[in-house]
Amino acid sequence: MSGMQLGFLIFGVLLTLLVLRVPIGVAMFISGAGGYLYLTGGQGTPWLNSLKNLAYARLSNYDLVVIPLFLLMGQFATHGGLSRLLFRFVSAFMGHRKGGIAMAAIGACAGFGAICGSSLATAATMGQVALPELRRYGYSGALATGALAAGGTLGIMIPPSVPLVIYAILTQESIGKLFMAAVLPGIIAMLGYMLVVQIVVTLDPKAGPAGPRVPWPQRLRCLFEVLPVLLVFVVVIVGIYGGWANPTEAASIGAGSCGILALLSGNMGMSELRKSLLGTAMATAMIYLVLLGADMMNSALAISQMPVELAQWVKDSGMSPLLVMGMILLIYILLGCVMDALAMILLTIPIFYPMIMGLDFFGLAQTDKSIWFGILALMVVEIGLVHPPVGMNVYVINRLAVDVPLIDTFKGVIPFLISDFLRITLLVFFPVISLYLVHQFGA
Amino acid sequence: MQNQDRCVAQHEAPSEPRGPYGRLLFWLAKGFAYAGGMVFIALVLMSVVSIVGRKLFSTPVPGDVELLQLSSAFASATFFAYCHLMKGDVKVDFFTAHMTSGRRVLLDSVGSLLVGLLGTLLAWRTAVGAVSLKEGGESSAILELPVWIAQALMVPSFILLALAGFYMCWQPWARGGARS
Repeated sequence: MSGMQLGFLIFGVLLTLLVLRVPIGVAMFISGAGGYLYLTGGQGTPWLNSLKNLAYARLSNYDLVVIPLFLLMGQFATHGGLSRLLFRFVSAFMGHRKGGIAMAAIGACAGFGAICGSSLATAATMGQVALPELRRYGYSGALATGALAAGGTLGIMIPPSVPLVIYAILTQESIGKLFMAAVLPGIIAMLGYMLVVQIVVTLDPKAGPAGPRVPWPQRLRCLFEVLPVLLVFVVVIVGIYGGWANPTEAASIGAGSCGILALLSGNMGMSELRKSLLGTAMATAMIYLVLLGADMMNSALAISQMPVELAQWVKDSGMSPLLVMGMILLIYILLGCVMDALAMILLTIPIFYPMIMGLDFFGLAQTDKSIWFGILALMVVEIGLVHPPVGMNVYVINRLAVDVPLIDTFKGVIPFLISDFLRITLLVFFPVISLYLVHQFGA
Repeated sequence: MQNQDRCVAQHEAPSEPRGPYGRLLFWLAKGFAYAGGMVFIALVLMSVVSIVGRKLFSTPVPGDVELLQLSSAFASATFFAYCHLMKGDVKVDFFTAHMTSGRRVLLDSVGSLLVGLLGTLLAWRTAVGAVSLKEGGESSAILELPVWIAQALMVPSFILLALAGFYMCWQPWARGGARS
């Protein structure tokens, strides 16, 4: 059996296991282990020896520690009530406009995304804060839940972002550069969502009535309250980009300062601390189990040479690079129908990354290409969180809004999905949007 | 809260301990997760002290990087069992969403069996690895901490993951077969 055939067989076994509801990490481990055993001549010893160090080597990876640390930071921010401060602040400035409270919810999601690397957590926590307000001012169920489900995806699009960390580790790319590259696309995403709200309320003014105008003294008080949260973000981002802290250290500072803010806000008692720890435990283990499985699978794929051969085949086939990119993005959207964002990144990057790196796009340098593709992959896998049938964010928000039927929420999300597709097209054709800040500040 | 959302989205009932063995297992898994979480909080404090010390007084905590690596390895391992008991595994639900809940329970039981086997395998191999590290006498660069201890500390967590897997595999049958 050739390496290529074996590689495809590994994927076949994996997909079968996935269809049978086997946890993704375990499924990747089993199919990878099978391939590894076959490639090493059916003898167990090399495989068993490779396992001696697998867990320790992976879990003691210095770069990887940013994941539990950023998750802890997000948990502190969630349970410490920082989301409420953010929402109050943005809605004090925007709430009096038509659709303003929905825009404020999106803005607050973006702000929260800047201190939290998880989309689900952003959607859930902002949903709890903003949904009652949106309903109180008579926003339609579809607009309110759609805006929040889409806004939640800003949690991973705006750095820190857990999928980007995984991408960085798989491709040995710099976490700091990827975070920087995600800033402008993230802001564009936020503005795009706000524009969607504007268009929706222009077409149907009843969907998003204006809220009361907040007087300036109160606005300034909200600004004052939210300053510490902004400070945390600035410290983390400037720390990484200014080069005086590596991402792991910046994540420590972020987690520490969010913890202190949460304590100072008075919302952080013993029970919130427990919830934060268990939430971190759960989210970390979810990611790490998939990561361990992916390690096994990737070492089998690497021995089979399948990714390299496939990349060579694509290169030799003479297909237009943009066509290849389009197909890859389409595959992500399809996979997003059934799979979690992180699992998709772990599963596909070892295959797609060599393919992309072997092709020429607008004459981009190799490192630029790798950062640009990371941002594109992030943007497409994030869509899977809001489109049917899985759309985890949609379920999370819908569960909070008991009176809104699920179908309304999915309808409400559609205009936001359109803006997602437009933005991705924009990012494909203008890599400079992703690369501008990296070139400006990256050494 | 997030966990419940996951369960709803994946058509599952949130899990709760049953019987003395189940209660003990949940209690242990939670205890492990709290302990691991506290290690991370300690690491956060250490890193902050180290960075501030380095910037202001040019004296970082000696060996801060290796402390972080050694401890985060076993601290993250403590989280696995809790995650599995709370049905937190990432899985593909799309193809089985239309099935009767009895069939899904059967498939999940098999999935948990595999988790249990993986936990057993990892516990075994990690322990063997720790023994050979000990014999090799490998230690960290600055503080000269023995690496084998950090790896050995992961073993109880993988044993607990194995137990959690077997418990979740056996649990639906313990209360008189799957509902359909």
